[in-house]
Amino acid sequence: MVEQMILASECDVANEVICAPADVKELFELPTIFYIGDIAITRTIILIFLAAFIVIALLYFGLRKGSVIPSKFQAVVESLVQFVRKDVAEDIIGPEGVRYAPYLTAMFLFLLVGNLFEITPLINFPITSRMAIPAFLAIVTWLIFVIVGFYKNGFSYFLDIVWPKSVPIGLRWLVGLIELFSVFLLRPLTLAVRLFANLVAGHLMLTLLLGSGAIFIWNFADAGAKSLVGVAWFAFGLGIYLFEIVVAVLQAYIFTLLSAVYIQSSVHPEH
Amino acid sequence: MLYALSTVLLAAEEAEETGNIGLVLPESYELVAGIIAFGIVFFFVWKWAFPAIDKMLEDRQRAIKGQMEDAEAAKAEAQSLLDDYRKQLAEAKSQAAGIINEAREAAEAMKSDIVAKAQTESAQIGTKARADAATERDRALASARVEVANLSIDLAERVVGENLDRAAQLGLVERYLADLERMSD
Repeated sequence: MVEQMILASECDVANEVICAPADVKELFELPTIFYIGDIAITRTIILIFLAAFIVIALLYFGLRKGSVIPSKFQAVVESLVQFVRKDVAEDIIGPEGVRYAPYLTAMFLFLLVGNLFEITPLINFPITSRMAIPAFLAIVTWLIFVIVGFYKNGFSYFLDIVWPKSVPIGLRWLVGLIELFSVFLLRPLTLAVRLFANLVAGHLMLTLLLGSGAIFIWNFADAGAKSLVGVAWFAFGLGIYLFEIVVAVLQAYIFTLLSAVYIQSSVHPEH
Repeated sequence: MLYALSTVLLAAEEAEETGNIGLVLPESYELVAGIIAFGIVFFFVWKWAFPAIDKMLEDRQRAIKGQMEDAEAAKAEAQSLLDDYRKQLAEAKSQAAGIINEAREAAEAMKSDIVAKAQTESAQIGTKARADAATERDRALASARVEVANLSIDLAERVVGENLDRAAQLGLVERYLADLERMSD
Protein backbone atom coordinates (compact mmCIF):
# COMPACT_ATOMS: atom_id res chain seq x y z
CA MET A 1 0.00 0.00 0.00
CA VAL A 2 2.58 2.49 1.13
CA GLU A 3 4.92 1.53 -1.69
CA GLN A 4 2.18 1.95 -4.23
CA MET A 5 1.46 5.43 -2.97
CA ILE A 6 5.12 6.32 -3.29
CA LEU A 7 5.20 4.87 -6.77
CA ALA A 8 2.05 6.70 -7.83
CA SER A 9 3.34 10.04 -6.71
CA GLU A 10 6.48 9.68 -8.80
CA CYS A 11 5.25 7.70 -11.75
CA ASP A 12 4.71 9.53 -15.03
CA VAL A 13 2.39 7.06 -16.75
CA ALA A 14 2.56 8.89 -20.04
CA ASN A 15 6.34 8.49 -20.44
CA GLU A 16 7.39 5.50 -18.35
CA VAL A 17 6.94 1.83 -19.22
CA ILE A 18 7.27 0.67 -15.64
CA CYS A 19 7.04 2.64 -12.42
CA ALA A 20 10.15 2.44 -10.26
CA PRO A 21 11.16 4.75 -7.45
CA ALA A 22 14.20 6.90 -8.04
CA ASP A 23 15.81 5.36 -4.98
CA VAL A 24 15.22 1.67 -4.37
CA LYS A 25 15.61 2.24 -0.64
CA GLU A 26 12.16 3.76 -0.66
CA LEU A 27 10.77 0.25 -1.06
CA PHE A 28 12.57 -1.02 2.01
CA GLU A 29 12.87 1.83 4.46
CA LEU A 30 9.37 2.21 5.69
CA PRO A 31 7.99 5.36 7.30
CA THR A 32 8.07 6.04 11.01
CA ILE A 33 4.71 5.45 12.65
CA PHE A 34 5.45 6.97 16.06
CA TYR A 35 8.27 7.80 18.43
CA ILE A 36 9.18 6.35 21.81
CA GLY A 37 11.43 9.08 23.23
CA ASP A 38 14.01 9.57 20.49
CA ILE A 39 13.51 6.12 19.01
CA ALA A 40 11.67 6.13 15.70
CA ILE A 41 9.28 3.20 15.59
CA THR A 42 9.04 2.41 11.89
CA ARG A 43 6.49 0.16 10.21
CA THR A 44 9.26 -2.45 9.92
CA ILE A 45 9.79 -2.52 13.68
CA ILE A 46 6.07 -2.91 14.26
CA LEU A 47 5.98 -5.74 11.70
CA ILE A 48 8.90 -7.47 13.44
CA PHE A 49 6.95 -7.52 16.70
CA LEU A 50 3.80 -8.49 14.84
CA ALA A 51 5.62 -11.52 13.43
CA ALA A 52 6.69 -12.55 16.93
CA PHE A 53 3.15 -12.01 18.17
CA ILE A 54 1.68 -14.14 15.37
CA VAL A 55 4.10 -16.99 16.06
CA ILE A 56 3.27 -16.94 19.75
CA ALA A 57 -0.47 -16.69 19.11
CA LEU A 58 -0.26 -19.58 16.64
CA LEU A 59 1.54 -21.75 19.18
CA TYR A 60 -0.62 -20.64 22.07
CA PHE A 61 -3.98 -21.22 20.41
CA GLY A 62 -2.75 -24.34 18.68
CA LEU A 63 -1.35 -26.06 21.75
CA ARG A 64 -3.35 -24.46 24.57
CA LYS A 65 -5.87 -27.28 24.92
CA GLY A 66 -3.37 -30.03 24.31
CA SER A 67 -6.12 -32.46 23.40
CA VAL A 68 -5.28 -36.12 23.03
CA ILE A 69 -7.44 -36.10 19.91
CA PRO A 70 -6.34 -32.86 18.21
CA SER A 71 -8.54 -30.42 16.36
CA LYS A 72 -7.52 -29.62 12.78
CA PHE A 73 -5.80 -26.42 13.87
CA GLN A 74 -3.97 -28.17 16.68
CA ALA A 75 -2.87 -30.92 14.30
CA VAL A 76 -1.43 -28.33 11.90
CA VAL A 77 0.47 -26.45 14.62
CA GLU A 78 1.66 -29.71 16.12
CA SER A 79 2.96 -31.05 12.84
CA LEU A 80 4.66 -27.71 12.12
CA VAL A 81 6.55 -27.82 15.42
CA GLN A 82 7.23 -31.55 15.25
CA PHE A 83 8.49 -31.14 11.70
CA VAL A 84 11.33 -28.87 12.86
CA ARG A 85 11.95 -30.90 16.02
CA LYS A 86 12.04 -34.34 14.46
CA ASP A 87 12.71 -33.93 10.76
CA VAL A 88 15.22 -31.10 11.06
CA ALA A 89 16.74 -30.99 14.55
CA GLU A 90 16.85 -34.68 15.47
CA ASP A 91 17.24 -36.20 12.02
CA ILE A 92 20.16 -33.96 11.07
CA ILE A 93 21.94 -33.31 14.36
CA GLY A 94 21.09 -36.65 15.96
CA PRO A 95 19.92 -37.33 19.53
CA GLU A 96 21.68 -34.15 20.69
CA GLY A 97 19.49 -32.18 18.32
CA VAL A 98 16.91 -31.98 21.11
CA ARG A 99 19.00 -29.24 22.73
CA TYR A 100 18.94 -27.07 19.63
CA ALA A 101 15.33 -27.81 18.70
CA PRO A 102 13.82 -24.79 20.53
CA TYR A 103 16.21 -22.43 18.71
CA LEU A 104 15.59 -24.06 15.33
CA THR A 105 11.83 -24.17 15.83
CA ALA A 106 11.62 -20.55 16.94
CA MET A 107 13.83 -19.61 13.98
CA PHE A 108 11.77 -21.51 11.44
CA LEU A 109 8.43 -20.15 12.63
CA PHE A 110 9.69 -16.57 12.98
CA LEU A 111 11.27 -16.64 9.51
CA LEU A 112 8.22 -18.34 8.01
CA VAL A 113 5.86 -15.67 9.28
CA GLY A 114 8.37 -12.91 8.48
CA ASN A 115 8.78 -14.21 4.93
CA LEU A 116 5.08 -14.74 4.39
CA PHE A 117 4.53 -11.06 5.25
CA GLU A 118 5.82 -10.50 1.73
CA ILE A 119 2.61 -11.85 0.25
CA THR A 120 0.23 -11.11 3.11
CA PRO A 121 -2.36 -8.59 1.94
CA LEU A 122 -2.19 -5.21 3.72
CA ILE A 123 1.28 -6.05 5.05
CA ASN A 124 3.11 -6.76 1.78
CA PHE A 125 6.54 -6.42 3.32
CA PRO A 126 8.85 -9.27 4.33
CA ILE A 127 10.72 -8.26 7.49
CA THR A 128 13.47 -10.63 6.35
CA SER A 129 14.21 -8.31 3.44
CA ARG A 130 15.85 -6.09 6.05
CA MET A 131 19.34 -7.34 6.87
CA ALA A 132 18.79 -7.08 10.64
CA ILE A 133 16.96 -10.37 11.05
CA PRO A 134 18.93 -12.61 8.65
CA ALA A 135 22.17 -11.17 10.02
CA PHE A 136 21.17 -11.62 13.64
CA LEU A 137 20.04 -15.24 13.17
CA ALA A 138 23.08 -16.08 11.03
CA ILE A 139 25.35 -14.70 13.75
CA VAL A 140 23.53 -16.69 16.45
CA THR A 141 23.88 -19.87 14.38
CA TRP A 142 27.56 -19.03 13.82
CA LEU A 143 28.11 -18.49 17.54
CA ILE A 144 26.36 -21.77 18.38
CA PHE A 145 28.33 -23.91 15.97
CA VAL A 146 31.67 -22.30 16.78
CA ILE A 147 31.16 -22.52 20.55
CA VAL A 148 29.78 -26.07 20.36
CA GLY A 149 32.65 -27.05 18.08
CA PHE A 150 35.28 -25.87 20.55
CA TYR A 151 33.34 -27.09 23.56
CA LYS A 152 32.87 -30.61 22.20
CA ASN A 153 36.21 -31.12 20.50
CA GLY A 154 38.56 -28.64 22.13
CA PHE A 155 41.20 -27.04 19.97
CA SER A 156 41.20 -30.05 17.61
CA TYR A 157 37.95 -28.63 16.16
CA PHE A 158 39.96 -25.74 14.75
CA LEU A 159 42.94 -27.93 13.80
CA ASP A 160 40.77 -30.40 11.89
CA ILE A 161 39.42 -27.53 9.84
CA VAL A 162 42.73 -25.84 8.99
CA TRP A 163 44.75 -29.08 8.78
CA PRO A 164 42.33 -31.74 7.46
CA LYS A 165 43.99 -35.16 7.82
CA SER A 166 41.84 -36.82 5.20
CA VAL A 167 43.43 -34.61 2.51
CA PRO A 168 46.83 -35.46 0.89
CA ILE A 169 49.59 -33.56 2.69
CA GLY A 170 50.53 -31.45 -0.33
CA LEU A 171 47.08 -29.98 -0.64
CA ARG A 172 46.31 -29.88 3.05
CA TRP A 173 47.30 -26.26 3.62
CA LEU A 174 45.23 -25.12 0.64
CA VAL A 175 42.11 -27.05 1.61
CA GLY A 176 42.64 -25.89 5.19
CA LEU A 177 42.76 -22.29 4.07
CA ILE A 178 39.61 -22.69 1.98
CA GLU A 179 37.85 -24.45 4.85
CA LEU A 180 38.90 -21.78 7.36
CA PHE A 181 37.53 -19.12 5.07
CA SER A 182 34.40 -21.13 4.30
CA VAL A 183 33.45 -22.25 7.81
CA PHE A 184 34.12 -19.09 9.75
CA LEU A 185 33.35 -16.40 7.21
CA LEU A 186 31.32 -17.67 4.27
CA ARG A 187 28.86 -19.80 6.24
CA PRO A 188 27.27 -16.96 8.22
CA LEU A 189 27.58 -14.55 5.30
CA THR A 190 25.90 -16.84 2.74
CA LEU A 191 23.29 -17.89 5.26
CA ALA A 192 22.25 -14.28 5.87
CA VAL A 193 22.62 -13.06 2.29
CA ARG A 194 20.71 -15.99 0.75
CA LEU A 195 17.62 -15.21 2.80
CA PHE A 196 17.98 -11.44 2.57
CA ALA A 197 18.58 -11.37 -1.19
CA ASN A 198 15.72 -13.75 -1.98
CA LEU A 199 13.24 -11.68 -0.06
CA VAL A 200 14.59 -8.37 -1.39
CA ALA A 201 14.26 -9.66 -4.95
CA GLY A 202 10.79 -11.01 -4.31
CA HIS A 203 9.60 -7.80 -2.71
CA LEU A 204 11.06 -5.73 -5.55
CA MET A 205 9.42 -7.82 -8.21
CA LEU A 206 6.06 -7.81 -6.49
CA THR A 207 5.95 -4.09 -5.72
CA LEU A 208 7.21 -3.05 -9.15
CA LEU A 209 5.01 -5.39 -11.16
CA LEU A 210 1.82 -5.23 -9.13
CA GLY A 211 2.36 -1.55 -8.30
CA SER A 212 3.06 -0.55 -11.90
CA GLY A 213 0.25 -2.72 -13.16
CA ALA A 214 -2.21 -1.17 -10.74
CA ILE A 215 -1.06 2.39 -11.54
CA PHE A 216 -1.20 1.91 -15.29
CA ILE A 217 -4.65 0.35 -15.12
CA TRP A 218 -5.91 2.95 -12.62
CA ASN A 219 -4.64 5.91 -14.65
CA PHE A 220 -5.85 4.57 -17.98
CA ALA A 221 -6.96 8.06 -18.96
CA ASP A 222 -3.35 9.32 -18.97
CA ALA A 223 -1.74 6.04 -19.94
CA GLY A 224 -4.02 5.26 -22.87
CA ALA A 225 -3.05 2.06 -24.67
CA LYS A 226 -0.28 1.63 -22.12
CA SER A 227 -2.83 0.43 -19.59
CA LEU A 228 -2.64 -2.86 -21.54
CA VAL A 229 1.02 -2.98 -20.49
CA GLY A 230 -0.28 -2.49 -16.98
CA VAL A 231 -2.50 -5.54 -17.38
CA ALA A 232 0.54 -7.54 -18.50
CA TRP A 233 2.61 -6.28 -15.53
CA PHE A 234 -0.19 -7.13 -13.17
CA ALA A 235 -0.71 -10.63 -14.58
CA PHE A 236 3.01 -11.26 -14.45
CA GLY A 237 3.05 -9.97 -10.88
CA LEU A 238 0.33 -12.42 -9.90
CA GLY A 239 2.47 -15.26 -11.29
CA ILE A 240 5.42 -14.05 -9.25
CA TYR A 241 3.10 -13.74 -6.24
CA LEU A 242 2.35 -17.47 -6.36
CA PHE A 243 6.02 -18.21 -6.86
CA GLU A 244 6.92 -16.07 -3.85
CA ILE A 245 4.70 -18.19 -1.60
CA VAL A 246 7.00 -21.10 -2.39
CA VAL A 247 10.09 -18.93 -1.95
CA ALA A 248 8.92 -17.69 1.44
CA VAL A 249 8.40 -21.20 2.80
CA LEU A 250 11.47 -22.61 1.13
CA GLN A 251 13.84 -19.90 2.35
CA ALA A 252 12.66 -20.28 5.95
CA TYR A 253 13.21 -24.02 5.61
CA ILE A 254 16.65 -23.67 3.99
CA PHE A 255 17.86 -21.23 6.63
CA THR A 256 16.76 -23.60 9.41
CA LEU A 257 18.08 -26.68 7.63
CA LEU A 258 21.51 -25.15 7.02
CA SER A 259 21.70 -23.92 10.62
CA ALA A 260 21.04 -27.52 11.71
CA VAL A 261 23.66 -28.85 9.28
CA TYR A 262 26.27 -26.36 10.57
CA ILE A 263 25.52 -27.25 14.19
CA GLN A 264 25.72 -30.94 13.29
CA SER A 265 29.15 -30.43 11.76
CA SER A 266 30.35 -29.12 15.14
CA VAL A 267 28.62 -31.79 17.23
CA HIS A 268 30.05 -34.58 15.09
CA PRO A 269 32.93 -32.99 13.12
CA GLU A 270 34.12 -36.37 11.77
CA HIS A 271 31.07 -36.55 9.49
CA MET B 1 10.66 -9.07 -17.30
CA LEU B 2 14.16 -8.21 -18.45
CA TYR B 3 13.13 -4.60 -18.65
CA ALA B 4 11.74 -4.73 -15.16
CA LEU B 5 14.96 -6.28 -13.88
CA SER B 6 17.16 -3.75 -15.64
CA THR B 7 15.07 -0.95 -14.20
CA VAL B 8 15.49 -2.41 -10.77
CA LEU B 9 19.20 -2.81 -11.28
CA LEU B 10 19.45 0.76 -12.49
CA ALA B 11 17.57 1.89 -9.43
CA ALA B 12 19.90 -0.16 -7.24
CA GLU B 13 22.93 1.35 -8.98
CA GLU B 14 21.56 4.80 -8.47
CA ALA B 15 21.14 4.00 -4.82
CA GLU B 16 24.75 2.92 -4.57
CA GLU B 17 25.93 5.98 -6.45
CA THR B 18 24.29 8.13 -3.86
CA GLY B 19 26.26 6.21 -1.25
CA ASN B 20 23.39 4.14 0.02
CA ILE B 21 25.02 0.88 1.02
CA GLY B 22 22.70 0.99 4.00
CA LEU B 23 20.29 -1.36 2.27
CA VAL B 24 22.53 -4.37 2.86
CA LEU B 25 23.61 -3.39 6.37
CA PRO B 26 21.40 -4.05 9.36
CA GLU B 27 19.72 -0.98 10.73
CA SER B 28 20.39 -0.71 14.46
CA TYR B 29 16.84 -0.18 15.73
CA GLU B 30 15.57 -2.99 13.54
CA LEU B 31 18.38 -5.19 14.85
CA VAL B 32 17.37 -4.46 18.43
CA ALA B 33 13.70 -5.05 17.58
CA GLY B 34 14.62 -8.31 15.84
CA ILE B 35 16.69 -9.51 18.81
CA ILE B 36 13.92 -8.71 21.28
CA ALA B 37 11.15 -10.18 19.10
CA PHE B 38 13.09 -13.34 18.33
CA GLY B 39 14.10 -13.63 21.97
CA ILE B 40 10.46 -13.58 23.00
CA VAL B 41 9.56 -16.20 20.40
CA PHE B 42 12.51 -18.39 21.39
CA PHE B 43 11.68 -18.12 25.07
CA PHE B 44 8.05 -18.97 24.42
CA VAL B 45 8.92 -21.98 22.27
CA TRP B 46 11.50 -23.19 24.78
CA LYS B 47 9.56 -22.69 28.01
CA TRP B 48 5.95 -23.11 26.94
CA ALA B 49 5.38 -24.68 23.52
CA PHE B 50 7.77 -27.61 23.85
CA PRO B 51 6.67 -28.63 27.36
CA ALA B 52 3.04 -28.29 26.23
CA ILE B 53 3.59 -30.46 23.17
CA ASP B 54 5.60 -33.01 25.19
CA LYS B 55 2.88 -33.30 27.79
CA MET B 56 0.29 -33.73 25.08
CA LEU B 57 2.33 -36.40 23.31
CA GLU B 58 2.81 -38.26 26.59
CA ASP B 59 -0.94 -38.08 27.27
CA ARG B 60 -1.61 -39.36 23.80
CA GLN B 61 0.92 -42.14 24.19
CA ARG B 62 -0.63 -43.16 27.49
CA ALA B 63 -4.15 -43.04 26.06
CA ILE B 64 -3.19 -45.15 23.07
CA LYS B 65 -1.30 -47.59 25.28
CA GLY B 66 -4.28 -47.88 27.63
CA GLN B 67 -6.66 -48.41 24.76
CA MET B 68 -4.42 -51.05 23.27
CA GLU B 69 -4.16 -52.85 26.60
CA ASP B 70 -7.94 -52.72 26.97
CA ALA B 71 -8.34 -54.07 23.50
CA GLU B 72 -5.83 -56.81 24.27
CA ALA B 73 -7.72 -57.79 27.43
CA ALA B 74 -11.04 -57.76 25.61
CA LYS B 75 -9.53 -59.89 22.88
CA ALA B 76 -8.19 -62.41 25.41
CA GLU B 77 -11.57 -62.55 27.11
CA ALA B 78 -13.34 -63.05 23.84
CA GLN B 79 -10.89 -65.80 22.96
CA SER B 80 -11.46 -67.64 26.23
CA LEU B 81 -15.23 -67.28 25.79
CA LEU B 82 -14.94 -68.62 22.29
CA ASP B 83 -12.87 -71.55 23.55
CA ASP B 84 -15.50 -72.24 26.21
CA TYR B 85 -18.27 -72.17 23.67
CA ARG B 86 -16.35 -74.42 21.36
CA LYS B 87 -15.76 -76.89 24.14
CA GLN B 88 -19.41 -76.79 25.16
CA LEU B 89 -20.48 -77.23 21.56
CA ALA B 90 -18.21 -80.22 21.14
CA GLU B 91 -19.54 -81.73 24.35
CA ALA B 92 -23.12 -81.17 23.27
CA LYS B 93 -22.35 -82.71 19.91
CA SER B 94 -20.79 -85.82 21.42
CA GLN B 95 -23.67 -86.08 23.88
CA ALA B 96 -26.19 -85.85 21.06
CA ALA B 97 -24.30 -88.48 19.12
CA GLY B 98 -24.35 -90.73 22.22
CA ILE B 99 -28.06 -90.22 22.68
CA ILE B 100 -28.74 -90.99 19.05
CA ASN B 101 -26.63 -94.11 19.25
CA GLU B 102 -28.38 -95.27 22.38
CA ALA B 103 -31.75 -94.64 20.81
CA ARG B 104 -30.71 -96.49 17.69
CA GLU B 105 -29.50 -99.44 19.75
CA ALA B 106 -32.69 -99.44 21.81
CA ALA B 107 -34.77 -99.34 18.67
CA GLU B 108 -32.73 -102.17 17.16
CA ALA B 109 -33.19 -104.25 20.31
CA MET B 110 -36.89 -103.52 20.44
CA LYS B 111 -37.27 -104.37 16.80
CA SER B 112 -35.52 -107.72 17.10
CA ASP B 113 -37.50 -108.40 20.29
CA ILE B 114 -40.79 -107.75 18.54
CA VAL B 115 -39.78 -109.82 15.54
CA ALA B 116 -38.71 -112.72 17.76
CA LYS B 117 -41.93 -112.51 19.79
CA ALA B 118 -44.00 -112.41 16.64
CA GLN B 119 -42.16 -115.39 15.26
CA THR B 120 -42.71 -117.43 18.46
CA GLU B 121 -46.33 -116.41 18.57
CA SER B 122 -46.93 -117.34 14.96
CA ALA B 123 -45.20 -120.66 15.54
CA GLN B 124 -47.37 -121.29 18.61
CA ILE B 125 -50.50 -120.37 16.70
CA GLY B 126 -49.51 -122.71 13.89
CA THR B 127 -48.84 -125.57 16.26
CA LYS B 128 -52.09 -125.02 18.12
CA ALA B 129 -54.02 -124.80 14.88
CA ARG B 130 -52.47 -128.00 13.66
CA ALA B 131 -53.24 -129.74 17.00
CA ASP B 132 -56.83 -128.45 16.95
CA ALA B 133 -57.28 -129.62 13.38
CA ALA B 134 -55.92 -133.05 14.24
CA THR B 135 -58.24 -133.38 17.27
CA GLU B 136 -61.20 -132.24 15.22
CA ARG B 137 -60.38 -134.73 12.48
CA ASP B 138 -59.97 -137.53 14.99
CA ARG B 139 -63.27 -136.62 16.58
CA ALA B 140 -65.00 -136.37 13.21
CA LEU B 141 -63.42 -139.60 12.15
CA ALA B 142 -64.58 -141.37 15.36
CA SER B 143 -68.16 -140.11 15.04
CA ALA B 144 -68.18 -140.96 11.32
CA ARG B 145 -66.98 -144.47 12.16
CA VAL B 146 -69.85 -145.03 14.61
CA GLU B 147 -72.30 -143.53 12.14
CA VAL B 148 -70.99 -145.68 9.29
CA ALA B 149 -71.22 -148.83 11.46
CA ASN B 150 -74.80 -148.08 12.52
CA LEU B 151 -75.80 -147.27 8.96
CA SER B 152 -74.17 -150.47 7.73
CA ILE B 153 -76.03 -152.55 10.35
CA ASP B 154 -79.35 -150.78 9.57
CA LEU B 155 -78.76 -151.40 5.91
CA ALA B 156 -77.88 -155.01 6.56
CA GLU B 157 -80.99 -155.52 8.81
CA ARG B 158 -83.18 -154.12 6.03
CA VAL B 159 -81.58 -156.47 3.60
CA VAL B 160 -81.76 -159.49 5.86
CA GLY B 161 -85.10 -158.50 7.37
CA GLU B 162 -84.32 -159.27 10.97
CA ASN B 163 -82.52 -157.88 13.89
CA LEU B 164 -78.96 -158.68 13.91
CA ASP B 165 -76.78 -159.14 16.94
CA ARG B 166 -75.84 -155.52 17.08
CA ALA B 167 -72.80 -156.03 19.28
CA ALA B 168 -71.30 -158.73 17.14
CA GLN B 169 -72.04 -156.77 13.99
CA LEU B 170 -70.50 -153.59 15.39
CA GLY B 171 -67.33 -155.48 16.19
CA LEU B 172 -67.26 -156.75 12.63
CA VAL B 173 -67.67 -153.26 11.17
CA GLU B 174 -65.11 -151.90 13.48
CA ARG B 175 -62.61 -154.48 12.42
CA TYR B 176 -63.36 -153.81 8.78
CA LEU B 177 -62.92 -150.07 9.18
CA ALA B 178 -59.69 -150.60 11.05
CA ASP B 179 -58.47 -152.76 8.20
CA LEU B 180 -59.47 -150.03 5.76
CA GLU B 181 -57.64 -147.48 7.80
CA ARG B 182 -54.54 -149.65 7.82
CA MET B 183 -54.73 -150.08 4.09
CA SER B 184 -55.25 -146.39 3.44
CA ASP B 185 -52.31 -145.48 5.67
